[in-house]
Parts: sequence; structure tokens; C-alpha cells
Amino acid sequence: MKKIKQAAARLFSMRTALLILSLLIIACIAGSVIPQEEIEAYYRGYYPDTVGAFILLMGLDDVFHCWWFVVLTLFLCVNLLGCNLLRFPLLVRRVQTGFSPERRLAAWDGTPEAVVDGQPERLFARMGFRRVQSGARDGQAYRYAVRRRAGVWGAWLTHLGMLIIIAGFALGQMYTAKYTVYGVPGQTKPVGDTGYALTIDDFRVDLREDETVEQYTARLTLTDTATGERRSGEASVNHPLSLFGMKLYQNSTGWAAQVQIWKGEALLEHAILCAGEHMAVPDLEDLVLAFNAFYPDYVTGADGMPATATSQLNDPAYLYTLYYQGKVLGMNVLRSDERITVEDYSFVFSDPQTYTLIQLKHDPFTWLAGIGGLVMVLALFLAFYLRTEELWAVQQEDSRWAFAGYSQKGGVLFRDALREKAAQLTDREGEKNE
Amino acid sequence: MNQMFVQAESVLLYLTMVLYLAAMILYFIFFALKRERSGRTAGWTLLLGFVCHTAALAVRGVGAGRLPLTNQYEFAASFAWGICLCALLFLWRFRFQALGAFVSPVILLVIGYAALQSREVRELMPALQSNWLAVHVFTAIISYGAFGVSFAVSLMFLLRGRMRDNPFWQQHIPEEQKLDTVSYRAVSLGFLFLTFVIITGAIWAESAWGSYWSWDPKETWALITWFIYAIYLHQRIVRGWKDKAAAIFAVLGFICVIFTYIGVNTLLPGIHSYA
Repeated sequence: MKKIKQAAARLFSMRTALLILSLLIIACIAGSVIPQEEIEAYYRGYYPDTVGAFILLMGLDDVFHCWWFVVLTLFLCVNLLGCNLLRFPLLVRRVQTGFSPERRLAAWDGTPEAVVDGQPERLFARMGFRRVQSGARDGQAYRYAVRRRAGVWGAWLTHLGMLIIIAGFALGQMYTAKYTVYGVPGQTKPVGDTGYALTIDDFRVDLREDETVEQYTARLTLTDTATGERRSGEASVNHPLSLFGMKLYQNSTGWAAQVQIWKGEALLEHAILCAGEHMAVPDLEDLVLAFNAFYPDYVTGADGMPATATSQLNDPAYLYTLYYQGKVLGMNVLRSDERITVEDYSFVFSDPQTYTLIQLKHDPFTWLAGIGGLVMVLALFLAFYLRTEELWAVQQEDSRWAFAGYSQKGGVLFRDALREKAAQLTDREGEKNE
Repeated sequence: MNQMFVQAESVLLYLTMVLYLAAMILYFIFFALKRERSGRTAGWTLLLGFVCHTAALAVRGVGAGRLPLTNQYEFAASFAWGICLCALLFLWRFRFQALGAFVSPVILLVIGYAALQSREVRELMPALQSNWLAVHVFTAIISYGAFGVSFAVSLMFLLRGRMRDNPFWQQHIPEEQKLDTVSYRAVSLGFLFLTFVIITGAIWAESAWGSYWSWDPKETWALITWFIYAIYLHQRIVRGWKDKAAAIFAVLGFICVIFTYIGVNTLLPGIHSYA
């Protein structure tokens, strides 16, 4: 039992918390310096053999999701929880009985920070203390006041806020469902396995006079395929749309085009292809057409590479690659309605238009992280700006009052303020007497 | 931006730099030649520099039709402004001129960095068109400014120990215990605002990117900075770990702040790449 208590005390200790925070710092540095979530070949190729192998062995290619990072975070939670559980009864006791003149005067070594004549209440008032208790101890009269008792909860509530944030984030990681749908106006696509279908009714790119983008706006309809219920709205950057408990974000955009695949005079396929996508020929799957890039106002760059002069559709051109059985057959730039032919097959690009990528998300625990953040900010304010302070005065034999005080954080400044205000009070008294 | 605003901003910015430089030189004279009057003049010069600095930012804001908080130049200029604001508040609150002597070189370095950046005014990209921009970046300015002050006070602490035989230093630089507490107060302010920065950033990211936390390098380094100052605060409170070690930690913390601002932008690009 004793060993369990010792282990628990060690686990909940400040030393352990600081060790965990230090390890988290190291993990975060690694996670920000080493490119994350790349393919294995990247780490083996980019880094020396041993370094690449070490990165993969330790999970440094995906630090923030690897087992030891999760374990570290879990330890931090256990530490914070344990610390708060241990401190809770102590803090309750402190608030209920800890602020007493008896206790404070018994612990005081009698060294005053300031000595004043006359009514001590005036210095209490100048220091911002309102409710002053009076009494006598060992035959000496005393005055005592305490303010901002709630400040003692600051650190405790900060830990609680942090725990709530981590809980909200962890639950969000477990239960958040994210989907992406992209397409051009008029297209309807299923949203994963949710039973909903997303229709892109309209997509607009608002440009300023200097051709910079002011806003991307998509008009969307989400349909419950089981009931046929439809809900619509607009999503733009910074203004997500909420439909059926899901948030829809206007995430990104690009170019798409109509692609026709012909076999002789017969039209085999007519589809919309987004830049970056590829499609196989329906009756010859080894033959694949990839739409690599789109140039709305085609020019040849200084380096001889394709480029675009403006974002206007002045001279649209499509960069494509044809593959057969995984090998490149050809790669070139094509204008609208131009035809490329391979044996019996021919391909035509036309009608370029912007497509939109919509992200759909359902995170049932975002609100929890939000509450954690709010608790944390309020708690930090409590901890730093509502510092618990005590002030007491004992009447000396010469009937003057000896003052001393305690400030939870910042004793020196509290002491200086006490001395300064006592001096001001004495000066004012002196002036009055003169 | 209208040419008139561009010129006015340039004049005010260079005037600000000249005034900050003058304040730094006057502070140097104050310490090197032990001239009390130089110290007082330096304080007023710093205040005047701050007024010009505020005017420069205001002119840019009016000319651009938005808050000047969106690119490297604007944030660096605002960062220097934040350090100066916090320094003046701490000077007023704790009344020791020497703080200005240690903080003015930091302000000058940051505004010097700003002057090296492109001052072109660009329209805001859609992701930046949010009311959260002002809250998020303004809290960052105050937070970083307060950390800048704690850095300067901690340097004073570390140097004061080495200048024990210099009565002028002992007279004008507060006792170590007070410096330690003032540094702690600055870190407290910075830490509270850094928490605001992270939380407001998360709220904004949720509406702009669809994820309130993405482990983007900027976010990660803001968290690293938060962890470093959390360690500083806990060490002080719980283990009574104050004085020299705390001062060294506050200096390291500010180096981390600088890396979060400049290093991350230049070395670790991510979704915050415009910041």
C-alpha cells in the first residue's frame, strides 16, 4: 500500500509534470522540424540511412499520432488529474479556514514592513482592503483583512481547463467524421457512407480589380438520400455552412474540364476531370489519361515550361500525360477541342471551369474543447490578476500599528506598495499636523 | 495604398527608428557616463518614439483600409510596438528607468527587422478576412511584447549580479528580488495573452480551415512557447526556483518567441505561411 501511495505521489508530482512537459517540447520540436506523414521512401531517400531508419522506428514521421506521444499526453492528463484531486480538499480547507488572523499572526515573526500612527483602517483602505477584522491576541490589538480569496483556485482551474481541452481534442480525434467532395456546378456526389449527397449548385470566385481573389463562394445542397429531405445554403472561406449537423467548408478550388474519349467515330466516355485526376479508357483499362495541369492564359515561360499569363480564360491549355501499362506514352500541352490520337482512340479536352473542394465535418466535441479554453483563460486571469492577499496590523506598545502582509505571488511588490502607501499616509499626517 | 499615405508612413517609420535609436544611445550615456539627465531624456524619447510608431501604424491602417497586422512587415512593426507599449506600462507601473535601457535595443532590432521586409500593401486573401484576425494578432502582439519585457528584465537581473561593485548600477537597477518579481509579472501577462492567442487562433482555424488544431509548425511552436513558460511558472511557484535560473529560462523563452515568429516563417512553412 505504501509503495502504491509513493508511486501515485511520484506520478502526480510537479517533478513528473515538468518532465512530461519537457518531453512534449522535444516531441513537438521533432514534429515541426521533420516533415510529417510522408511516404516511407521519402525518409529513406531524404535522410542518411541510419537517420531515416531511426525516424521510422520511433514514429517521428507522424509524431503527433504515434503511440508514445499519446502515452505522454495520457501521463500528463493523469498527472493533472491526480494533482487536482489531491489539491482539491486542501484548497477547500484553505478557503474555509485558512484565512484567519490567528493562523497568520501565529506564523508571523513580528517583523513589520511599515509602522503607522493613528487609525490603521486608513492604510487598509489605501491598500484596497475593505472588510477589516479586529480583535486581540496575547493582549495586543490587531486588524486583519484578506482579499481575492477566489485567486487560490486559479491554478486548479487552469489544470481543469487543460484537461477539458485535451479531453475534447481526444474525443474529437476519435469521433470526428471528415469527408471531402469536389466537383463543378451541377454535379451531385455521395458524402462517404453518411447517406447524404452533396450537390454543388453554384460556385463563384469573386475577383478584385487587380485580379486577386476576394472570396470563394459555393452554393450547396445536402440531400438525405433516405428521406429525400434537402437543405441548402452558401459556404465561403471563413463562413462555413451548417446542414444536418455537419459543417461544410469551402476548402479549395482548381480547374476542371470536359474530357471526351472516342474510339473511331464512337464516343466512349464523356466526363468531367479535375486537374490532378486521371481516367482509364473504358474498354482498354491499361490506357490511362492523366490531366496534370491547366493554364487559362497559356504562355511558355522563360524556362521553356508551360505557364499562364493571367487567370482569365484567354487561351486555355491542358497539360496531359498518356500512360499505357504504367509507362508514359506521351506528355504534351493541348488546346481546347484539339484531338490527340493513339491507335483507334482519341481524346479531347474542352469547356474548362473551376471546381470547388468542399470539406464536410461532424465533430461532436468541439464545444468541449471550447469550454476548456474558456475555463483556462478565466482561470489564468484568476491566478495572475486576482492574487490572494492578506494584510494585518498589530498595535505596538507605543500604540503605533505595525503592518505586514502576504501576497500569493509577488511579495516584494506588495511589500513595496505597503511601504510606499504607509509613507504617503505618514507624510499626509505630518502635513496636517503642521 | 494612396501615395500620400505611403510617404507619411515612411517618414513616421524612419522617425520612429531614429527616436528609438536616440533613446538607446541616451540610455547608454546614462549608464556609461552616469548622467541622470540622460536617463530621463531617454525615457521621454522612447515615449515620443512610441507616439510616432503608433502614428505610423495608424497611417498604414487608414491607408490600407484595414488593421496593419497581416504580413511579416506589419506584424514585425506591431511586435516592436507591443514591446514598447509593454515596456512603457511596466516603466510607469514599477518606475525604474533602467528597464528602458535594456528594452530599447530589443525594440530597435525588431523594428529594424520590420524595415527590411517588403512594405507593399496587399489585399487580404479570403482566409484572412475575419474579425478574428484583429483579436488573434493583437493578443499575440501584447503577449510577445510582455515576453520581450521579461527578457529585458531578466537580462538586467543577470547583469546586475556581475556589477555588484558598481554603485551606479546598484542604485538604478532594482534589487534582484524585485527584478525577479517584475519578470514574473511580465511573463504572467505574456502567458495569459499567449493562451488567448492559441485559443482565438483555434476558433479562427475552426471556421477558416475546418480544424481548430492541425499541428501546423506555427501552432506547434506557439504550443512549445506555452510549454516553456508553463515550466517557468511552475518551477517558480512550486519549487521556489527563482533568481538566476528563472532569469535564464525567461531569456530562453523569448528566444523561442523570436523563433516562433521569424524562424518558423522562414524555415518551417505551413498553412500559416502568410503570417
